[in-house]
Amino acid sequence: MTAHALPNGIWRREAVAEVRRSLRLPQFLAPTVLTPAAFYGLFTLAVAKSPSPAFAAATLAGYGVFAAAGPALFGFGAGVAMEREQGLIELKRVSPMPAGAYLAAKLAASLVATGLALVLIYALAVVAGVRLPAATWLALAAWHLASCVPFALIGFGFGMRMSGKGAVAVANALFLGCSVLGGLWIPSAVLPGWMQALGEVVPSYHLGQIARALVGADTIGSRAGHVLAVLAMTVMAGWWARSGWQRSPA
Amino acid sequence: MHPGDQRFEAPERGYDREIAARLTGVAKSLGSTPVLGGFDLDVRAGEVTALLGPNGAGKTTAVSLLTGRLAPDAGTATLFGLDPRGAAARTRLGVMLQAAGLPDVLTVAEMVTLQSGYYRHPRPLAQTLALAGLADLAERRCGALSGGEARRVHYALAICGRPDLLVLDEPTAAMDRVSARALWATVREAADTGAAVLLTSHDLMEADALADRVVVMDAGVVVADATPAALRARAGGSVIRCRTHTAPGAARAMPSVHNASAEGAELSVVASDGAATVRALLLADPDLSALRVADATLEDAIALLLDRADRRITA
Repeated sequence: MTAHALPNGIWRREAVAEVRRSLRLPQFLAPTVLTPAAFYGLFTLAVAKSPSPAFAAATLAGYGVFAAAGPALFGFGAGVAMEREQGLIELKRVSPMPAGAYLAAKLAASLVATGLALVLIYALAVVAGVRLPAATWLALAAWHLASCVPFALIGFGFGMRMSGKGAVAVANALFLGCSVLGGLWIPSAVLPGWMQALGEVVPSYHLGQIARALVGADTIGSRAGHVLAVLAMTVMAGWWARSGWQRSPA
Repeated sequence: MHPGDQRFEAPERGYDREIAARLTGVAKSLGSTPVLGGFDLDVRAGEVTALLGPNGAGKTTAVSLLTGRLAPDAGTATLFGLDPRGAAARTRLGVMLQAAGLPDVLTVAEMVTLQSGYYRHPRPLAQTLALAGLADLAERRCGALSGGEARRVHYALAICGRPDLLVLDEPTAAMDRVSARALWATVREAADTGAAVLLTSHDLMEADALADRVVVMDAGVVVADATPAALRARAGGSVIRCRTHTAPGAARAMPSVHNASAEGAELSVVASDGAATVRALLLADPDLSALRVADATLEDAIALLLDRADRRITA
């Protein structure tokens, strides 16, 4: 079926266009990039006066997940809903572009924003005395970047189902709710029991626990259990995203 | 065979050369509202097909089924013999939607380049921009375009891939007449070089100027499928308007009259033989005044048709 084959490079070009687009919207990019650094700097480094490097590293684990959740929830949830209202998704839908390329391009833009946010908080951590082996830094960065995926899929799912305004509200609620319940700001171990229990159902908790394990901080529960929970939530979010794309005619 | 004869051979696509898109016995409800019921439509290569009908007739739904945005409840929709919902079937499709937006911060050239990349043999950027009348706007961000300019960008996105089927949903709404006429010329050229074109429009002048074939739909079914000339002929050739006390019912009984309606004392009659009908009207009411006779337009033809939607005609 050569007559119907798609040309090469669609996914790459779509990603480049989407990253370029997000870089030209500093009013959306700046908050998601700067907020994690501001929070990390304020709550961990400034409030704790002179925190121990171990404490700074343990909290860094959580703030990295926080840095991933923002661009993913806002870029996908609010972004997709607004693009749908503007008829941009409609444009893509009638084109030969495969749906996956759109998703991948948005993910690329989220990863760029997350990467920028991570550079800032990692730099603050180094200033606070955090010293980790190069391999640990790399593993941590990879895990933090990968943390975008479940949030992106969740965001895509509600972005395809809600109005732009509604999606912004939901993105905010999920962003803050998941961060608190997931123990990204205040470690889960010192949260009240009911909050810990609720934390079990949000991806940020499991993502954060694995990140803590990577930097050698104390964790709750088994690593394998957290990995399984993340995988299960990602699969469910993927189904939620896919059905959202299919159900919405516009 | 002489090698020089090869250019007369049919292109490789074979079976789907004639029918670019087809809806067969399609039924579709949106929510609990039936929109299409047993709807058939063929869009053929080398022809401009205009899909016309009142608001709510199901035009947009029919287009959505052909472009893969909706799936039929019953019946089949095919695009070059494939399911329109697959990305592969859309590699030969160019669509200009009515309600689509553009990303504000990308330039016209960036947007057209991105879209061109979805197709295997796209036009060169400069050619696409020239055809859509955008050569001077290439570096303009889409967010800074006027309504008519944005429509031209959507047209560029539709034609950049040299599609074998071009779907144009109200293409010249929000365009000035000069831009609209320039667009018509390029649409005509696309059809003349073998593309199938499906056009929906509220502008019947546009349909009359462009279409080889007019499909009129009402309440989810096809009520006419004919050339614009055949439809105008069906409408009778003349529209006669006058002030008279002759009732529409009496006028309808006169020779060559297809239809008649009245607003107050103003009677409108659609007739095939204008002179004979005028004589009959004068005979019935020697005092009639403000007599005007005009050629029936496509609009008259369609108004007449929708009045009598039970009569299916083809030509």
